[in-house]
Amino acid sequence: MIFTTNIIAIRKSIRNISLLFFVLFSSSLSAELQLSISKSANDGIPIYIANIAATIPGGHSGIIEADLKRSGRFTIVDRAKIPNIAPFGGTLNAVAYQDIADYIVRGKDDGNGGLSIELISTSDNAKTNYQITANTNPRRPAHKAADQIFEKITHEKGAFDTRLAYVTVINNASSKRMFKLFVSDADGYNEQEIMSSREPITSPTWSPKGNELAYTSFELNRSGIYIQNIFTGAKRLISGRKGSNNAPAWSPDGSKLAVSLSFTGNPEIYTINVSSGALKQITKSRAIDTEPTWNGTNSIIFTSNRGGKPQLYRVSASGGVAQRLTFSGKYNSAADVANNKMTFITGNSGAFHVAIKSVNGGSGKDMLSNGRMDETPTLAPNGTMVAYTTLRGGQNTLAVVSDNGKAKQFLKSALGDIRYPAWSPYLHR
Amino acid sequence: MKTAMRNTMKSVNTKRILLPILLSTFVLGACSQNQNEPDVNVSTKDGSKTTANAGSKNGTVGKGGASSVTSNSTKGNRSNYLPNNNANSNVSDGRDLTLAGLKDPNNLLSQRVIYFDYNQSSIRPEYMVLINTHAKLAAKFPQLQMRLEGHADERGSREYNVALSEQRANSVRRIMGTQGARSQQIRTIGYGEELPIVKGHDQKSWQKNRRVEIKYDNY
Repeated sequence: MIFTTNIIAIRKSIRNISLLFFVLFSSSLSAELQLSISKSANDGIPIYIANIAATIPGGHSGIIEADLKRSGRFTIVDRAKIPNIAPFGGTLNAVAYQDIADYIVRGKDDGNGGLSIELISTSDNAKTNYQITANTNPRRPAHKAADQIFEKITHEKGAFDTRLAYVTVINNASSKRMFKLFVSDADGYNEQEIMSSREPITSPTWSPKGNELAYTSFELNRSGIYIQNIFTGAKRLISGRKGSNNAPAWSPDGSKLAVSLSFTGNPEIYTINVSSGALKQITKSRAIDTEPTWNGTNSIIFTSNRGGKPQLYRVSASGGVAQRLTFSGKYNSAADVANNKMTFITGNSGAFHVAIKSVNGGSGKDMLSNGRMDETPTLAPNGTMVAYTTLRGGQNTLAVVSDNGKAKQFLKSALGDIRYPAWSPYLHR
Repeated sequence: MKTAMRNTMKSVNTKRILLPILLSTFVLGACSQNQNEPDVNVSTKDGSKTTANAGSKNGTVGKGGASSVTSNSTKGNRSNYLPNNNANSNVSDGRDLTLAGLKDPNNLLSQRVIYFDYNQSSIRPEYMVLINTHAKLAAKFPQLQMRLEGHADERGSREYNVALSEQRANSVRRIMGTQGARSQQIRTIGYGEELPIVKGHDQKSWQKNRRVEIKYDNY
């Protein structure tokens, strides 16, 4: 739409960054993905979220509830179970509700978009207070509150105040086919178009700062890897070599992209320094090597069919001998790593599911999905949730599942098929 | 006839040829059980008709061609399904290798799609003649430029499928090279599973989506 397929237009547009900034943020705060089905844990930590009067859709309390549910670690207690609870700041003997909930949350909208939250333990009335400042995105204070509550109770960092990037395909299998790269909040709200093309857009990956996306686009009728700033729209070509320029994955330190390039005639893993463009070859085989993902700063996990079938391998980020990681199953691919967990696709010619395992642990894995055509799993930065795409009713739908498999949501786009979700890192702005 | 076959065998190693034959025979066995699939009258005597059906968007894909392989294999004479070994063929010699032939629906050159087996980039033997014919045209007209666009079905992971589909295009290019097409005439690209021809999620759709399309720059 704004950033269409023309590089020259993009270059011109870079000169008008301030204008673009305005356009991007004033254009599309209305669209969102539609939640179709939601399943949550019934044996999670029971938590009561008191209603917080607010003008935003769903309310702050509704956002906090949905976030905590999605983690698969909490069970939301029905509000009717504690009628007429004292409002935020009012006297409350939480211990009296010990049989109903482990924690009670009360909050107050300060009227300017900021949020005051208190988290009270029903075991000892211990109270923790949080002050959350207003944000241009009115839903983010509630996500930040959910992150605080999650961390206090589980001792894991919360990842609700994050984003998803994904590609939506409109009019698939027709001549009017259109690809759109979107960014939304992690719960599917605030969908914003980043770029649009009649040719495929694939493989978005976030910079660790969360302000840029790298992706593959076929906009010039050949594949190229681009980096685009999601706030300004500024965009540059990182690799437009002969053959495939595919599957970028941003290194945790932000300095490099791991990519699969086939300019030698065969797809191999390389790293590209994003500031200098310096190229380094990481794998050398006669097989397909692709789908790199970073396992820390010094190691890369990728898919290769060097053993005959696609399997996952690990190699040092400086190159060398690759070590095979998966042995069971005919097809293991598309890994993503966060917080020492690895999610990947496992299957055979008939069905492909999402699995999760400890990245450096043994061969044991847990299955997280049971669709026929599940694809492109991506981990939340704290490793507690996985987003992937699945086929539901003939449409490629976004699914979000907790790492324990207890909570699952399906998010549909009214526009068409969703592909290539990529979970952002923790947000810094 | 025998010389043609020997040349074909020489251009691709034996493993590559035999494996697809076995595979396609197997796949075919599965397909033919489905009596509900619209059938196509494929004449194995008329090679141009066979590939005409295999190549069109609406025709049966893999089925027409592969069934020929099966029937001919069992007869122990694989070569007589090859169009240019046939008296009725439109491309029996160089006379039909014309640019006009690209637009003639009765000419083999109007067929521009090569189909593949699941997770394979090796060329099925029934497509050798089609590929060779295009290669010979390119050899005859050095100014001709083409693009080989590889595609995959929706199974397996998306980025892996980009690589797989590029390898399919490269397989076609390699064979064309052995027939005199110059490497600078041919560009290849892998689109993975991003651009399906058919949207369905079944074997029939997958067969149609696993393909390389030959696209001439100006034809």
